[in-house]
Amino acid sequence: MIRYLLKRVASGIALLCLVSTVTFMMVFGATGNVARNILGENATAEQVTALNSRLGLDRPLMVQFGDWVSHAIRGDLGPSWTMSESVASALASRLPVTLSMVTIAVAMMALLSAMLGIAAAVRGGWADRAIQIVSVAGFAMPNFWLGLLLVLTFSVQLGWLPATGYVSFGASPSAWAASLVLPVTALVLSGIASASQQIRGAVIDALKQDYVRTLRARGVSPRSVLYRHALRNAMPAALTVLSVQFIALLGGAAVIERVFAIPGMGSLTVSAALIGDVPVLMGVVVTLIIVVVLVNILIDFLNAWANPKVRMS
Amino acid sequence: MRNRLILSALTAAFLSVPPIAQAEVGNSPETLALAGILDNDTFDRAGLSIGHRAQYWMPVFDTLLYTAPDGKTMPNLATEWRFNGDGTELTLKLREGVKFTDGTPFNAEAVKANIEYLRDGVGQNTWMAGAVKSVEIVGPAELKLHLKEPDPGMLFNLATVGGAMASPATLGKADSKMLPVGSGPYIYDTARSVTGRQYVYKRNPDYWNAGAFPFETMTITPINDLSARMNALKSGQVDAGAGEGQVVTEAEASKLTVSRLPVDWLGLFLSDRDGKMVKALSDVRVRRALNMAFDEKAILKFVARGYGEVTDQPFVPPSEAFDPSLDGTYQYAPKAARALLAEAGYPNGFSVTMPDIGTLAPYTPIITQQLKDIGVTVNWVKVPPNVTIAELLSGKYPMFLFRLGSQSPWADFNKFAFANSPWNTSKAKDEKLEALLKKAQYTPPGKEQNAAMQAANRYMVENAFFAPWFRIDSIYISNAQVKVQMQAQNIVPWPRNYAPAK
Repeated sequence: MIRYLLKRVASGIALLCLVSTVTFMMVFGATGNVARNILGENATAEQVTALNSRLGLDRPLMVQFGDWVSHAIRGDLGPSWTMSESVASALASRLPVTLSMVTIAVAMMALLSAMLGIAAAVRGGWADRAIQIVSVAGFAMPNFWLGLLLVLTFSVQLGWLPATGYVSFGASPSAWAASLVLPVTALVLSGIASASQQIRGAVIDALKQDYVRTLRARGVSPRSVLYRHALRNAMPAALTVLSVQFIALLGGAAVIERVFAIPGMGSLTVSAALIGDVPVLMGVVVTLIIVVVLVNILIDFLNAWANPKVRMS
Repeated sequence: MRNRLILSALTAAFLSVPPIAQAEVGNSPETLALAGILDNDTFDRAGLSIGHRAQYWMPVFDTLLYTAPDGKTMPNLATEWRFNGDGTELTLKLREGVKFTDGTPFNAEAVKANIEYLRDGVGQNTWMAGAVKSVEIVGPAELKLHLKEPDPGMLFNLATVGGAMASPATLGKADSKMLPVGSGPYIYDTARSVTGRQYVYKRNPDYWNAGAFPFETMTITPINDLSARMNALKSGQVDAGAGEGQVVTEAEASKLTVSRLPVDWLGLFLSDRDGKMVKALSDVRVRRALNMAFDEKAILKFVARGYGEVTDQPFVPPSEAFDPSLDGTYQYAPKAARALLAEAGYPNGFSVTMPDIGTLAPYTPIITQQLKDIGVTVNWVKVPPNVTIAELLSGKYPMFLFRLGSQSPWADFNKFAFANSPWNTSKAKDEKLEALLKKAQYTPPGKEQNAAMQAANRYMVENAFFAPWFRIDSIYISNAQVKVQMQAQNIVPWPRNYAPAK
């Protein structure tokens, strides 16, 4: 198991190096207009050249890359070109915002999709059809549209929840929770369909297996068959879907962050891309890859914990 | 048991993510809560901006002068000012007894340090001190700015970024980008502010003019998305924020107040007046024909929802260069435009390459169609949003559509009228215009100088340097808790333009 984990960590590091290099070459190769964006329309050509030189953009690309890598491996992602804070500081204030939103959304999604998927698989009939219709309806509704609908209803009309913004947990746990209710609900409702369908299918498959028939023949209670045996076998498929959902939400949070004016990684990425703040973009890429690798390792752990077959393999 | 332990560990790990900072100061009657379109980029004195971002630094950094909502220059930290005869010396008398919030006294030394720091620094508005050759300290409360040449925009500059006063002790310090220290009506509350999330300002108890700023606290929350901004306004999270034409009906239906004032103008920049890329554009008849090709009234009504005023000049009132008699110089007349083109030797029209800018995309098909009607074919080149300004300024395009903000007339002339002006993208030189501008520059401020600037404006209109369509209204939305006065020559009001409604 440890060897397997070490392999996963090594492949994660390789992925990090590869994606960072490709991203660097793509974005640093197109920094010709950054100084002009920073200095504005009234800057002279001399001022633009001087800023390019100050930012080190007049050096060969490989020298810039070497410089960036040597700092990055020491944890120094450098200063932002357009913001007053360093890249690390910008990431430190935005990552918890997005992570808290996405983590809670995925946890809620896991819970609800497990309930719906199991109910649909076990009960069948009209319950199955109803759950499928509800899940597919959620899938058909884009999360930004759901978000707008939720804001209009619960913030503007009823005044129960904040329409925009994010409050740190440390500032006020209740305000923190209130600021996350609507964005998380929008993410959960639109993402629950695929996970619940996957769980439904996996549970139906598991319940058809020979060992389930044997367990039933031995008089094991239906509850135990479902939760102790069938669900454990169905878990890898569900976990895989949830990990994909987590990664998709992490990357796609920009839309929901925009709707709720949440200052997270998505909005940071969009603003950095629009003005060409390459150090911030590189910081975002590196951070997201690390999170993705960690999530995948965590999923492997959970799979191994849930299913002995995975441990054996 | 084991499962519970794992669940507990995961929960603890999640909850132990340290709160990076506290934020979200709620709105209240004592608080002025604003929504900003753009996030603040810096508090560094040399990097300050006008436009949307002025709202972030103005609470902290008081200015030497200020512009009233109608655009009139008013005394502030400088109580008196006087130009010498040829406009190359500006004497300022300073308010006495003012201190920065770190205890540093405000005096002539502080002004000199600020102006020199801006002039020699890196930022979008260093040009505002660019004309200053040297600063002479006459006394603790008096100084003279020696200018390289007369700068008719100097007073406007000193009322905005050029006159912003930061504590000299902070100039050039690394942390001054995030921790502003000034002598203004508010103190930046670092404990309750979170960069990118919410900026909080508390009243400066020692401010000399507290009555002009009635709110105890001010907050600015960056909300870039228009729908999110509207939702924050409608739910009372913020008191005021910038709007756009498409939400005016919704705002009014929600009992919000909509204020409007033209600040920008939209139109075509006919840059290649030397005909280096498109020979036809060197002929003034062709450029006039282009001015007659567009049905600006219909475009304003149906695309910009009527929030603006049709114009033919690149200045917006109350700019001293604005001349109301110039509006109406060119009427929509495609037949007459075709005749002018034929007279200029282009009976079959010509082709021109224009940049397709995402933010102005609704106008692209209109330009294509209305220019086609007079025989001009447009080849569009897509321009990515992150390089729009750089691409336009590069001089690649013989003409382009753009929305430009209007400020002081001299700042505007410097933007687009001189051979080296950034928005004279083809660097076309016109000696007659430069003579008119020189006359305006060297005429003492007052009616004569205004007339000279209007003459330069008239020359540009008659020679069709641009094909302006309309002045665009800045739309600003506020709730019933605050009264807002729009600010001439800035897209959002200054912080002093807000007051409680009751």
